[in-house]
Amino acid sequence: ALCFQAFLQMCNLPVRVVCRANAEYMSPSGKLPFIHVGNQVVSELGPIVQFVKAKGHSLSDGLDEVQKAEMKAYMELVNNMLLTAELYLQWCDDVTVEEITHPRYGSPYPWPLNRILSYQKQWEIRRKMKAIGWAGKSLEQVLEDVDQCCQALSQRLGTQPYFFNKHPTELDALVFGHLFTILTTQLTSDELCERVKNYSNLIAFCRRIEQQYFEGHDKDSCSSATSRSAKRSLLR
Amino acid sequence: DVPILISEDAVISQPAKILNFLRKQKYNADYELSARQGADTLAYIALLEEKLLPALLHTFWVEAENYCSVTKPWFASRIPFPLSLYLPGRMSREALNRILLTRGGPPLYSLTEVEAQIYRDAKECLNLLSKRLGTSQFFFGNTPSTLDAFVFGFLAPLYKVCFPRVHLQEHLKQLPNLCRFCDDILSFYFRLGVSGHSPAGQDSVDANLQKLTQLVNKESNLIEKMDDNLRKSPQHPPRKLTTLKLAVGGEASSPPSRLSP
Repeated sequence: ALCFQAFLQMCNLPVRVVCRANAEYMSPSGKLPFIHVGNQVVSELGPIVQFVKAKGHSLSDGLDEVQKAEMKAYMELVNNMLLTAELYLQWCDDVTVEEITHPRYGSPYPWPLNRILSYQKQWEIRRKMKAIGWAGKSLEQVLEDVDQCCQALSQRLGTQPYFFNKHPTELDALVFGHLFTILTTQLTSDELCERVKNYSNLIAFCRRIEQQYFEGHDKDSCSSATSRSAKRSLLR
Repeated sequence: DVPILISEDAVISQPAKILNFLRKQKYNADYELSARQGADTLAYIALLEEKLLPALLHTFWVEAENYCSVTKPWFASRIPFPLSLYLPGRMSREALNRILLTRGGPPLYSLTEVEAQIYRDAKECLNLLSKRLGTSQFFFGNTPSTLDAFVFGFLAPLYKVCFPRVHLQEHLKQLPNLCRFCDDILSFYFRLGVSGHSPAGQDSVDANLQKLTQLVNKESNLIEKMDDNLRKSPQHPPRKLTTLKLAVGGEASSPPSRLSP
């Protein structure tokens, strides 16, 4: 969720973040977040990047074909590993589900709708996990996968400021969004957070983007954006 | 569960565990890679699984003509009866399930739309792989690595199996460096007879493919014979039709109809 905000701010486009309980239903693909520009509604990172590009803003024009291929491959890695691990933790780890996810997801609705909707979402996510072979994984294995993914990202980033040297691209926005959310969201245990913290260049990368693109605005909107995005990411 | 590696007493399933086992036995194709190349490997494997795999699953297991004429008989011939009646169907249902759960959902509401999207993604993935490979022999220079094995594993069946519905295969054939990549690996690592070592598995796969090809050839011969019979049969009056055309469209008649007997 935060990755979209980061991406739009990297493109120097003004953005206002609004929270709604029926956000999933308003989105054209059922996935959050989405952007509402004039009379158009676009959701998911791929279509949003295309939409912004069609309007004349792009972060990846300076890349050659091989670099674009690499960027797309790394974005899939993040989606494949980090996003799936986040979903697993929110919806398949029983402790987290009971203590954090169910209450947060159902909070805008009265009883019994809150329980029904969150069980429905849980069932949906578990079916998907089963289809891709993640249902049989233990929490330890999922954390190993996250570690492997962070190691790959850390090695790719090296000592550069951004993944493609001097200028940020969609990949930087995506990685920032996921890592920042993992680092700042309260969960039942800190293991996930600790794994990411092992990679100092990734932490420095997150701080750099936060300072450059988020602390430029008022401090109020920054701190509320963090807490709102933490809440929004669990509502995914 | 396939594939399975059987080594002395150990039986290991799932690709990730097999790779780990081989690494512990000191077999590592990525020994010479830098850390960054190792990271690239993971990223490209993720790209293959997200963008190419759904279309491959569809081509082999969901596309009705392909499944019924190639995949199902092929797999059923290697599975003992009575599982051969049940397992291919189950694998087909699981493939469709996986495609719909991971790529289905709004704004794609019908299977046709999902199919169109996954083939678009697969073609884009093939283009990206081709650009990344460029003119090198393998993805990381002159020696093969795990990434080469993964890419080969995804591309070679698509490249070599003869399907009735082939549009993804045709797209692959338009990328000559990927075809050359598959051919190179096939000739280096899957060569039969020359070194005296021919893997038994490869032999039986070839034998089955041969049988299948013979069956298909027999059927197509039969169809040709039927066509011939129909054409020679006296109930078919093609000449009358052409004379009618000449009568109707005098000066506008096209050269072919004038020339026909």
